[in-house]
Amino acid sequence: MSELRWEAWAAIVAFILTLGYTLNPLPYLMGAFTFIAQPLFAVAMLGYAQKVFRDLKRRKVI
Amino acid sequence: MDTATLVRVLGTVICLVGIVLCWHIGRTRFDGLSSEKLLSVANAHLSQSSFWKLSAFAGIVLVPLAAVGIANYHTFEGVQEVAACARCHVMRPMINDLRNPESNTLAARHYKNHWIVQNQCYDCHSDYGLAGNMEAKMEGFRHLARYTTRTYSEPIELRGRFNNDNCLKCHQDMPKFEVVKSHQSMKALLADSSTSCLNCHGQAHPTRAERTPGSADYAKLMEVVK
Repeated sequence: MSELRWEAWAAIVAFILTLGYTLNPLPYLMGAFTFIAQPLFAVAMLGYAQKVFRDLKRRKVI
Repeated sequence: MDTATLVRVLGTVICLVGIVLCWHIGRTRFDGLSSEKLLSVANAHLSQSSFWKLSAFAGIVLVPLAAVGIANYHTFEGVQEVAACARCHVMRPMINDLRNPESNTLAARHYKNHWIVQNQCYDCHSDYGLAGNMEAKMEGFRHLARYTTRTYSEPIELRGRFNNDNCLKCHQDMPKFEVVKSHQSMKALLADSSTSCLNCHGQAHPTRAERTPGSADYAKLMEVVK
């Protein structure tokens, strides 16, 4: 599997926003969690899934 | 420890674990990992390559799912509190009026007389049942989007018509309600919300004119009730 650099950074940013919202549930932090952090997590997961799929294909597992 | 604190602590721990894990994942070169070098984790022995691949799965899939789950639980439970509505300044005229013991709006009377013990905003503005609650939550997301992007104008207005079921879920079938003749004669109209309860029982919140920024009452309504 190649590196997961941008996926990890996307998840880190999403975790920071989620942490901010968890500690202080103000409207703008709630908006950041809902409309930025959750899609970032989804994008990171999709990127990860794509790399795993490619890796499995390269190794002829699937 | 109450549930809210527990959720907050758990959410914090999960996010911190996720940040540390992702930091290491982002710096790992997966192609250069050895599948022969063994690492010991508790009683398990894993190759270096397997260990980091499992860590990547945990850091990018499992821990984010846990964080999203906890934070959404925090949202769905937290938004029911009056304090959650009070955090948006557009709601302050309504909240300050609700908490004002001298006010006689319908909302204030329900609050000061403890007719609704807690979560007063949510109780009157979420329709009865699971579908209704989900609808209220979806409306909440719309409000959040409008508020955070500042695409709203004051005074805010209730979209559509107030659903009488939100009143009837507590009042219907109660002796004090049933004994009133007009409630009997208007039962069908009240049930389908063609006639509003507010027509006879007064204003629920300060009027639109009172809530308009710049009006004489607006500044007073924005003052926090001590």
